Amino acid sequence: MITTEGLSKHFGKIKAIDDFTIEIPDGKIFGLLGPNGAGKTTTMRILACLINPTSGRAFIDEYEIGKEKDNQNIRAMIGLLPEVPGLYETLSAYKNLDYYAQLHDVPKAKREENIKNLLTSLDLWERRNDPIGEFSKGMKQKIAIARALVHEPKYLFLDEPTAALDPEASKMIRNYILELKSKGRTILINTHNLAEAERICDTVAVVKNRLIKVGNPKELAHKLFARTISITLDYIPDSLIKDISVLDYISNIRTDGNKLFLNIKAPEENNPKIISWLTKRGLNVQFVSEEEYSLEDVYLKLIEEAE
Amino acid sequence: MIRWKRAWIIAKKDLSEFKKQKLVIGSIIAMPLVLGVALPLIMFIPIATMAGPMDMVWDVEGLIEIDKCQTKDCFEEPKTNQTLENIYFNKTTVQNMYLKNVSLQDCVIMFCIIENSIITDSTIQNCSIYYSQIENTILLFSEGKQLDGKNIIAVNSSLTFTKTKESETAKLIPIILNYVLVLFVIIPATLPTIIASYSIVGEKNNRSLEPILATPTTDGEILAGKILSSFVPSMGSTLIAFVSGAVLIDIAFFYLLGYIPLPTLNWILVITLLAPTASLMSILALVLVSSKVTDVRAAQQIGGFVIMPVIILMLGVVSGFIFLSPFTIILFSIFYSCIDLGLFYFAKSIFNREDILTKWA
Repeated sequence: MITTEGLSKHFGKIKAIDDFTIEIPDGKIFGLLGPNGAGKTTTMRILACLINPTSGRAFIDEYEIGKEKDNQNIRAMIGLLPEVPGLYETLSAYKNLDYYAQLHDVPKAKREENIKNLLTSLDLWERRNDPIGEFSKGMKQKIAIARALVHEPKYLFLDEPTAALDPEASKMIRNYILELKSKGRTILINTHNLAEAERICDTVAVVKNRLIKVGNPKELAHKLFARTISITLDYIPDSLIKDISVLDYISNIRTDGNKLFLNIKAPEENNPKIISWLTKRGLNVQFVSEEEYSLEDVYLKLIEEAE
Repeated sequence: MIRWKRAWIIAKKDLSEFKKQKLVIGSIIAMPLVLGVALPLIMFIPIATMAGPMDMVWDVEGLIEIDKCQTKDCFEEPKTNQTLENIYFNKTTVQNMYLKNVSLQDCVIMFCIIENSIITDSTIQNCSIYYSQIENTILLFSEGKQLDGKNIIAVNSSLTFTKTKESETAKLIPIILNYVLVLFVIIPATLPTIIASYSIVGEKNNRSLEPILATPTTDGEILAGKILSSFVPSMGSTLIAFVSGAVLIDIAFFYLLGYIPLPTLNWILVITLLAPTASLMSILALVLVSSKVTDVRAAQQIGGFVIMPVIILMLGVVSGFIFLSPFTIILFSIFYSCIDLGLFYFAKSIFNREDILTKWA
């Protein structure tokens, strides 16, 4: 488990991240969302023991970040994919991975096995002896992910894993991240790609140099936006809006064609009531659905509020 | 505590990368070849040409041209009451010679065979005899003293050999050897300006330091690895040049003077003390330079200045202001070691994860 308590990092007068408290349970994917310069990479670097916090504390399992002896143990448990892959262009894919595996003290036989498994699962085994310089951007990203995994870390930190990749490569990487989660890895992702975060993250934290909100993407939407249902009727009488507004569990009524939009409290309980009310007035209910708010809506609202 | 195995992993990776860098490989091969082999040879050509007039001084008056006498007729009558001075005998066969009352002084006798001859009532003084045989020669009433001889089979003779004097060429040898020797300090100090700049600035430009920093490798181990990756090829290349240079010089001197002058204590001290400390100084200075620049070429250009202490030494030796004796070599080694130590602590203080990630970019 990863926990932070009032974590702060200041560079001179600039507060990269301030009073940041989160908890990431084992086996989950946690997304850090925020605009450029919001402190996402700084947070990840602190958690990867690359930079020390100015104040506050952070723990990975029983080890505390910032204590040199604990830092060594933490680094052995994590795999990092930085924003830029930073591979050695003249060396082969195999040698790149082998180098990092050696730095993680992986024994030779295990190194060979891990590299073969990773390159095979990423469809790159046939290209193992080719220099990285000959690889496409997507292939390099795959190798960089393989590098982060070559020592079988418990925790995986991915900084913009699908940035600048084409949709096909992005999907492949996303699926691979979900596969890693299914194998029990705890994954922290920094991303600008909100649709991606919505698809793969169990929990997201919206940050802008401080923690703005943390939670499940759907829960955040529910917390931020009143739940809206849309009811498609065969027709909408003129008096309907006036008549329906007497119901105390609905608000913000509007229409669009033969669709009626309502903000409704506890829809699971009140949806049957409203449908019954409409039916009694001779209106035929054709469809009922809940309006979904995307993570992008949530994010933009939160950032707007923070500003 | 540095785990050297881990530092060596980093160095090995860098060495693998160097194999693909034409400029690095070219420098590692060309610089020792030029400075360690070609330049010493060029320096010795004038010495070889100078050696003739200096040592082959013929005393024309009263000269017996022994090396031109190949027949018995030359020595039908004994050559008597002659004085031979400053004569250079080379590859001469003297047979059936009868010398009486001859004084041989300040002569060099090399690769000569003197056989079936009689040298009587003669004096042989201050002569150098190398690789010659004196066989079946009767030295009657002759005095052989203060002779410098090597590998001579003296049969029925009573010559004693003692090194008593140096020829003019021999006097030049230490000076020339010092000129050459300083090159073996220049090579290991210059090569890192190319290698280390690739090793650190290249890694910095490639943004490949961050993944390394996320491994359980300590800052000290990464720094040690980077130092090793520049030190090993620089010193390896210097050693090859050193051995090749020494062998070539030995061959040249053997041909010229009949003995091999290397290795001397100076040369051993330079290659074991001065060259490594100069190389380290250059590497550590490059680490500091690399933290401030983002371009390999800029690092190489600034790197030219970091070898100033070595250039000062070279200028001192060439101008004759500094003579490389074991004492001065040790003194300079201590001086360089002190600079190394200071640079190491400075480099260590800036070579930390946080600075690398936040200030080096």
